[in-house]
Amino acid sequence: MGIDITIKIGGEAGQGIQTVGQLLAAACRSAGLYVFGINDFESRIRGGHSFYQLRIADRRVRAPYHRVHLLIAMDDTTLALHRGQVLPDGLCLLNSESTEAEGNVQPVAFGKLAREAGGDITANTVATSAAIALLGAAPELLEKILHRQFAGKSPKVLDDNLRAARLGAEAVKSTSFTYGFSWTMSDPVQRMLMEGSVSLSLGALAGDCRFAAFYPMSPATSIMMNLAGWQDSFPIVVEQAEDEIAAANMIVGASFAGVRSLTATSGGGFCLMTEAIGLAGITETPIVVMNAQRPGPATGLATRTAQADLRMVMHAGQDEFPRFVFAPGTPEEAYETTARAFDLADKYQVPALILVDQYFNDSLYVLDHDLQAPAAVRHHTVADAAMNNPADYLRYDMTASGISPRAVPCAGKARVMACGNEHKPDGHSTEAAELRNAMVEKRARKLQAMACDIRPPSVSHPDSKIRLICWGSTLGVVAEAVELLRRGGTDAGYVHFCDIWPFPGEASAKALAGAERIICVEQNSTAQFAGLLRQETGIAASQTVLKYDGRPFYPVEIVSAVMKAGGNP
Amino acid sequence: MKCPKDYDNTIENKWCPGCGNHGILSSIKDALSKLGLAPHEVLIVSGIGQAAKTPHYLNCNFFHGLHGRALPVATGAKAANHSLTILVNSGDGDCYGEGGNHFINAIRRNLDITLLVHDNKVYGLTKGQASPTSDLHMITRAQPHGVILEPFNPLAVALALKAGFVARGYAGDTEHLSMLIQEGVRHRGFSLIDIMQPCVSFNHVNTYEWYAQRVYDLAKDGHDLADYMAAMNKAREWGDRIPVGILFREESPSFTERIDGLKDGPLVSRTYDPARLQKLLAEF
Repeated sequence: MGIDITIKIGGEAGQGIQTVGQLLAAACRSAGLYVFGINDFESRIRGGHSFYQLRIADRRVRAPYHRVHLLIAMDDTTLALHRGQVLPDGLCLLNSESTEAEGNVQPVAFGKLAREAGGDITANTVATSAAIALLGAAPELLEKILHRQFAGKSPKVLDDNLRAARLGAEAVKSTSFTYGFSWTMSDPVQRMLMEGSVSLSLGALAGDCRFAAFYPMSPATSIMMNLAGWQDSFPIVVEQAEDEIAAANMIVGASFAGVRSLTATSGGGFCLMTEAIGLAGITETPIVVMNAQRPGPATGLATRTAQADLRMVMHAGQDEFPRFVFAPGTPEEAYETTARAFDLADKYQVPALILVDQYFNDSLYVLDHDLQAPAAVRHHTVADAAMNNPADYLRYDMTASGISPRAVPCAGKARVMACGNEHKPDGHSTEAAELRNAMVEKRARKLQAMACDIRPPSVSHPDSKIRLICWGSTLGVVAEAVELLRRGGTDAGYVHFCDIWPFPGEASAKALAGAERIICVEQNSTAQFAGLLRQETGIAASQTVLKYDGRPFYPVEIVSAVMKAGGNP
Repeated sequence: MKCPKDYDNTIENKWCPGCGNHGILSSIKDALSKLGLAPHEVLIVSGIGQAAKTPHYLNCNFFHGLHGRALPVATGAKAANHSLTILVNSGDGDCYGEGGNHFINAIRRNLDITLLVHDNKVYGLTKGQASPTSDLHMITRAQPHGVILEPFNPLAVALALKAGFVARGYAGDTEHLSMLIQEGVRHRGFSLIDIMQPCVSFNHVNTYEWYAQRVYDLAKDGHDLADYMAAMNKAREWGDRIPVGILFREESPSFTERIDGLKDGPLVSRTYDPARLQKLLAEF
């Protein structure tokens, strides 16, 4: 076994818990290590309890570990809540001015040392440095990160933090830690490090998104915050709307006027957007909408995770219209899928809906490969030059494919008339029965070609007896569960769905062929995907592993659920 | 030279005979032709209601969307292409009821569009319920004991939000209304024209006769367009005398002029640059 260490940092909101995790992750990444970080917090800005859990390994890790090697407790609550998770030979550092170690609890006066260094605010640097020192890394590693982190700040801020780092390392000088390891620093590979939400925002740029409107809602806000920060260097406008209804209608308007547009929200905000999604459907206006799921209904658990909006997103909006639904499982896939969603929405003039969740958005990943900017972005609109007679342009021309050439208003002589009422090919409203049928059928025809652009699920062990089905963000935990099961002699594999609608029916049947047991792993209480699979293919899952408490899965939970049902068939 | 006929089309008009909308429609055609705009150079955005049908009866580009949501659609379109000339046709229910929040925020953005609110003080398309601007005590089938809510005052609200162009027109005076629309389109920033419009089917209080006895032209009354407090007083004048005309006008940078990133040209004509994205990716 190589390196596989989990560090948990806990404290009150506002204590910079997340910063400790991010600094540690940055240090590990620069040493060529892999990390995976999860962020657990309450819906409050100060106080309460939050924690950051960072897994450090010398191989790719994409799931949280259920035990803790090093616990950094910025307050007593953290120690009380998480001590039980610490391995017997693990270590707890407790923010305390006491000098007496008690069992594996070592007091370190983070607060006092921080004040000594220059202020309470540097406590997280003290803690980070202590952790780095215990892990056996050279202090220069963190110093380099701090230089980068505080590059734009006043020299005092950097000096205070460097001093804090020195004090933190010194404080644990004589503390022994079983899980320290040797950091091989010779020319490590610098892999990309980012939160899931960042991969989505970058994917939007790769899809040539130029307008984004949003109303803040956890856990989707960060997607828009990233884009807002890039407005000075990219041709993109990010507008904070008065509500989600406005945000969704704004992107419909922007897209109608010719630019690729995005909104991101969570389930509650998505509910408010549904009418506009239908508007995009009937006006055949391409839009991309991200739903970062959290538990509901209504406000539910505002800062926690879920996969319970699949059915809502698939059916959002009254009546019927074609749409895409995607649920990427990794940041690499999220980047690529987001760019693809913009292209496909544009190509088919339909809404493309992307399902992620709090766990995906707020988790920190080291990437397998560097993300590449697409060399070019192909647009699917038409101009006057492509028309025989622009004056006769028909926005909803009846075509065999169902896709009518889409012109942009005021770009030429063609008048573009879009209508949310049922309409004639020219865009004027109609109540004629035969035209209504023709338009419904024209829109539905697009599904055939759309299905050809749908990718099959990814499969790990095609001939395995047990297939674990997952979709969206749970890929990492399910993949690790499969690894653990196989190591224990159970013949398991996974089938992961990113492209969900139009449903890849044939590909699913193929991916599941020969399986003796099919187990659906989902973060909802009714196995929504299992139902969809059965509806579309007739294939019934023999077991479901469901979790809906708002917390992410640990791989061992899935393993034990599979074993409890008998392991190998 | 453009003429109002350029804006005609052959779509069957579905408004009631005598509806105030007919006058508004002819004022729009007159104003657009006098502004020298060709049909393909104009975008009309509308929501739902009798007023929202307006673009169907005009030769132009249009987006006919959802009830109450015309302004957000117009906001997105303007952000995408700030060179567009956008008019929004809305009604008192669409704009001040269902879309009230958007009305407030479009003004706060100083979105450079011209908002025409066909204000007949009653719901026409749903057959006669009270609207946000219905007079107190007006009796309808939905409000059999009379309206008990204070009427919404769009002009005073717009002024309170520092709207730069606040006007009231009257569907019965198409020449005057055309002038207001031309001024509204020329105004850089948000322009509100609340248009008093008789509803011959459902509003038996605010009729053509009722308005004819009350309406007077602010321009002939020595009203100072730059006097904010005078404008606020005129916005509140309702009863025996009802002012029409421009209440207040003051230009300030519009929504899209306030966005730094748009100084390099409309978003719609910008290009994707892989090198720039690759540079950003390298930061991770």
